[in-house]
Amino acid sequence: MKLTAIVLIVLGLAVAPAVAAPKWTFVERASGIYVNTNVPIFDKAAYDRIEDGLPMTVVIRLWVYPEGSKRPVSFVLMQRTIVYDLWDEVYQVAHDGPLGRRVYTVKFKGDAITLMTGLDQVRLVDAAALGYDTHFVVAVVAELNPVSKETLAEVRRWLSDGAGGGLDRGGSFFGSFVSVFVNLKIPEADRVVRQQSQPFYRLRPKATP
Amino acid sequence: MIIALLASVAAALPGVGTAIAQPDDEPTDTIDPESSTGAVGEIVDPSFGPLISIEAVELVGNRTTASRVILRALPIGAGDVLRAGDPRLKRARWKLLALGYFLDVTLALRKGSARGKVILTVAVVERGTVALNRLWFGSSVVAPWWLGADLGDRNFFGTGLAVGGAVAFTGHGAIAGARDQWAGELRVSAPGLGGSRWGVHGAITGQHGSEPFRVGGPLGSSAASDLRAFGYRRLAARAGGSVELTTISDLSADLRVEQIDADVPVAPTRTLPDGRVAAVDLGLRQGQSHVVSLAVGYDRDNRPDPALPHQGTRVQVQAELGSTLLGGSYDFAVLLGRYDRWWPINRRAALGLRLAGGAILGDAPRFDRIHIADVDRLLSPRVLGMTTALTAPLDVLGTDNAETLYGELGGNVVVEYTYRWWRRPHRIYGADAFVAVGLWGLTTADELRVRDRSWWSALPIDAVIDAGLRIDTEIGVFEFTVANALGRVPRW
Repeated sequence: MKLTAIVLIVLGLAVAPAVAAPKWTFVERASGIYVNTNVPIFDKAAYDRIEDGLPMTVVIRLWVYPEGSKRPVSFVLMQRTIVYDLWDEVYQVAHDGPLGRRVYTVKFKGDAITLMTGLDQVRLVDAAALGYDTHFVVAVVAELNPVSKETLAEVRRWLSDGAGGGLDRGGSFFGSFVSVFVNLKIPEADRVVRQQSQPFYRLRPKATP
Repeated sequence: MIIALLASVAAALPGVGTAIAQPDDEPTDTIDPESSTGAVGEIVDPSFGPLISIEAVELVGNRTTASRVILRALPIGAGDVLRAGDPRLKRARWKLLALGYFLDVTLALRKGSARGKVILTVAVVERGTVALNRLWFGSSVVAPWWLGADLGDRNFFGTGLAVGGAVAFTGHGAIAGARDQWAGELRVSAPGLGGSRWGVHGAITGQHGSEPFRVGGPLGSSAASDLRAFGYRRLAARAGGSVELTTISDLSADLRVEQIDADVPVAPTRTLPDGRVAAVDLGLRQGQSHVVSLAVGYDRDNRPDPALPHQGTRVQVQAELGSTLLGGSYDFAVLLGRYDRWWPINRRAALGLRLAGGAILGDAPRFDRIHIADVDRLLSPRVLGMTTALTAPLDVLGTDNAETLYGELGGNVVVEYTYRWWRRPHRIYGADAFVAVGLWGLTTADELRVRDRSWWSALPIDAVIDAGLRIDTEIGVFEFTVANALGRVPRW
């Protein structure tokens, strides 16, 4: 496949972040726009828990927007799962996305983390969907071990049990509840990272003489 | 194209479903994705990961909760052979948290005695399981003071049994025939018997009450001189079983046996404003009577956050049939339904629709009819079934709403706009400000049949308006609302 262009200009006007932000690079190849970056979703606690042998999941959502707009022109959803094999002492990482499933087995933890958090040549959108001279940005939301609405409902259902059971069912049936207890708030994910790329745009191909 | 792309991605990943609200404590200086596409992260391929055999399950941190209570709640146990990616391993944490006994649960695997064998360690952080479910207090013409509380323990001495109880006292006002009232209740339930989906529950309630009724004065009068009261005693036992249909829905069935001893006046009457004298139906037999009934109920609640709901639905349906054929003194049926639904408007605001209503058929005892405070949240609710106020409702629409204290057909529909004030991960988790408007109605079969005013004036409905704050904290959920305040103080 011929590399037709690596001409996406990354504007240097992006706001300088307080901490070192991952580098985003965009490539137009064949008919698609591809991105390379890294989503630092693993903090120290999560990093240490990988060896517990239980699966951990990262869900990554990418939206491509015209700069200044909230209407995305493209969306990509990916899921990555890691599990540590206690006996073989290797890491198995599964990638699920628009291209299907791929499973990797690596020896070193650093490689496993890279597989979990790196976006390597991820196809964002058909190049034709992005007009020339318009600036675009990519927003990413990555969630570590997200929890479904159904699970949240199940876990917090005891909150709405109320007193019930006695003769006062009329009042409790129609009314709302107000309770005092030691209350647990389940987060919707262990960790959430939101990032936005610097703006980029497609260069119009030079006309051949 | 976007839809097609979303669809193709959704098809590639099972479990793509409803939107996920994004946590507010994350930086929001990026473009806010208008929607997410579901909790695909919970979908774990059961064929992924190494094959493991659970050699043993170790429990850590359960100082109060019996080990058997935890072990029977786990979807896996010693001897099970599964892949490390099996969803049951991931679900185990949520199953334990759903018990409501723990602040946190962490699971970990370590090598067992032979290749392929693993030890599953379950570390729990216990929480206080005693809850103050309800608190009653206030003042009115009927009862110059009332005070009561409902307490429960979801994990009684670590046994997994839920035990609760309530007591309430009310002083008597200047109404002729009134007396001090008290009531007590004891409840026990055993959910998930032996780790199954079945549970049993029971409750005993006693009341030494005093019930007011109008004998004269203008419509809706709550002046002591226009009221009389009669004494009664109730002793009721309710027992039944429940089955968890899904993780968010259950079905229950109950048998209720109740004895009522009422000192009902012989042929009570009321002098109407135009001078006519009308008979008053107090809905109780003179002396001793019994209520024996069978009830079934269905409850489904998929709201991710029942304390501060912004999405999801709750449905409750309850039907009760009392009959002389069962040995009771009353033939009646009660149908109650409730439907709450929430639609997120954006990340901060949501619109809620709350519908609740019921119908009483036949000769239901007074206490089983729909009380006006059940449908009008601006009035003082009954306290353990005891009437504490006869305050007339607001007359916003100029309709006929002041007369019916106990009705046979009633309900309300309320639309609520909720604004997410804040969310935090610790201590005071969040607060919502809300404004609610709606209609309530309550009537009897007689009122439906006979009308002596214009149809609008005769409509037994009125508007309800409420506003306030709901606060979800580490120690509980609190409501500070206009209705809550109005229901606790004497007025007009």
